[in-house]
Amino acid sequence: MDKRWLSFELHKRKILTLILSLAFIMSLFSVEWNSELIHSKGLETAKQIATAFFTPDLSGDILILAMESSWTTLSYAAAGMSLAIIIAFFYGILASGIVVSEGNIKRYIRPFFRGQLGFMRAIHELVWAWLFVASIGLSPYAAIFALAIPYGGILGRIFADMLEDISPEPIKALEAAGASKLQALWYGYLPLVRANITSYAMYRFECAVRSSAIMSFVGIGGLGYQIQLSLDDLHYDEVWTFVYFLIALVIVIDLWSNQLRKRLVQ
Amino acid sequence: MQEAISLKQISKIYERKIALSSLSFTVNKGELVALIGPSGAGKTTLLNLLAAILPPSQGEILIDGHPLSELMDHKKRAKKIGIIRQQYDLVGELPVIHNVLAGRLSEWGLIKSLLSMLIPQDKEYASQALRRVGLTDKLYEKTSSLSGGEQQRVALARLLVQSPEIVLADEPVASLDPARAEDVLDLLVKIALEEKQTLIASLHSVEYARKYFDRLIALKDGEIFFDLPASSVTDDQIKSLYRLKEIS
Repeated sequence: MDKRWLSFELHKRKILTLILSLAFIMSLFSVEWNSELIHSKGLETAKQIATAFFTPDLSGDILILAMESSWTTLSYAAAGMSLAIIIAFFYGILASGIVVSEGNIKRYIRPFFRGQLGFMRAIHELVWAWLFVASIGLSPYAAIFALAIPYGGILGRIFADMLEDISPEPIKALEAAGASKLQALWYGYLPLVRANITSYAMYRFECAVRSSAIMSFVGIGGLGYQIQLSLDDLHYDEVWTFVYFLIALVIVIDLWSNQLRKRLVQ
Repeated sequence: MQEAISLKQISKIYERKIALSSLSFTVNKGELVALIGPSGAGKTTLLNLLAAILPPSQGEILIDGHPLSELMDHKKRAKKIGIIRQQYDLVGELPVIHNVLAGRLSEWGLIKSLLSMLIPQDKEYASQALRRVGLTDKLYEKTSSLSGGEQQRVALARLLVQSPEIVLADEPVASLDPARAEDVLDLLVKIALEEKQTLIASLHSVEYARKYFDRLIALKDGEIFFDLPASSVTDDQIKSLYRLKEIS
C-alpha cells in the first residue's frame, strides 16, 4: 500500500470523530434508565402544560396585562440595543484597526479594544443584571445596562470582523484617489458592511427581546416576570398566553428585519 | 519632450519569487503606453509600483524628475497619479454620484466629505464627468445595479473628477465583453488625449493594445521583452512573447 495513505495528517479528523462517537456511546451506559429518570408527578404536569398549550387564557385582564408586559419587555430590549449599537459602532471601528495605519499603534490599538469587547461579552447579561440590580436596585436602568453591555460586546466584535473582512480593492481605490483613513471609512467601509451589519443587528434585536424577557425573572417587570408569577400559581394557561405574546414579538421583528434587508440589498 | 515617468533599475522580489528584475525605461508626457505579456509577467506588479501601492525592492522611480518615494502625502499623489482597475474598485452599495465624487476626496476635508453624503457637494463635477462618459441619467442609481461596462465608465468618471496627470490602468477591460471593452478603451484613450494625460495600461489583448496605443512595452518573466512603437511590432515578436516554455 502507498505509504502516504497511512499518514496521520490525512486521517486525524476521522480518528477524532471516532473517539468522540465512542465517548457519546459510553456516556449512555452511565444513565440510569429506570423510573427515577423523571419524577413520578412529572408526567402529569407535562400533560397539564401540554393541554394549556391549546387553551391559553384569553380573558381581557390577562390580555391587557400581556400587552403591557410585552411593551415593557420590548422597550427594555429597544433601549438596550440602542446603547449596544452605539458601543458597537465606536468599539468596532477601533477594534478593527482600520482607521490607523499599519505599524506600532495598530499593534496595540486592536488588541486593546478587542480585549475590552471580549470583557463585555464574556459576562452573560443575567450576571450583569444581578450586578446592576445589586448596585442600582430594581430599576429599568439595571435591565437596559445589563443588555447593552454584553450585546455591545457581541455586536462590536462582529462589526470589527466584518470591517476587517471586506474586499480590499474598493478601499485601495479610494486611497489611491486621495482619501484619508476617515474618508475611506465613510465612503468605503461603512457602505460596504451596511447591509450585513443591519441584518445582524436585527437578529440581535430578536435575541435582546428574549433576553429582556428572561431579565424580568430577576425581578425587573416584563413578560418573564408574568410568566414566573403564573408558573408559581400553576396557571399554565396564562403562561402560554404570555409565551404567545413573546413569540409574536419575535415574529414581528423578524418580518421587519426581512423588509429592511430586502430594501438594503436591492 | 518632457519625461513624466522614469524607472531606474527597478526590481521587485516577493519572498522567493523575482517579479521584476532591473527594469529601466522612461515614458514621456502624453504618451499612451500599453503593457502586454503573458500572465505572471509582472504587469500588475509594475503598475502597483508606479502607483506607490507597493515599494520597489531596488531601484528608483522618478515622477516629473522627483523620486516617487518623496511623494508620500497621498492627497498630493492623487493629483499626480490615478489608477483604474477591473470593476471591483467601486463601492457597489453607494449611489453612482458618491462613487464619482470620491475623486474629490483628495480636495475635501472630513467635514465636507461627510456633508456630501447628505447633500452632494461639487455636484457639477460629477454631472459633467458622467456626461462625458455617457451616463448622465444614472446619477442617483445604486452602483451595483449597473452593468459591468457602465460600472467601468463610472470608474472613468471618478478618474475624470480626480484628474491626475498620469493614469495607470490595470486590465481595465478584462471582465468586459468585446463590444463593451472597445467602448471603455476608446473612452479611456479619448479622455487621456483630451486631458493631455500620460496613460499606461496593462492589457491581455494585443489586438486592443495595437489599435489604441502608441507604444507597446512587452514584459516576460519580469524583464522587458521588447519596447517598440505599436506600428512596428511584428506578429513573430508577439508569438514568441506568448510562447510557452518548451518542456525539456
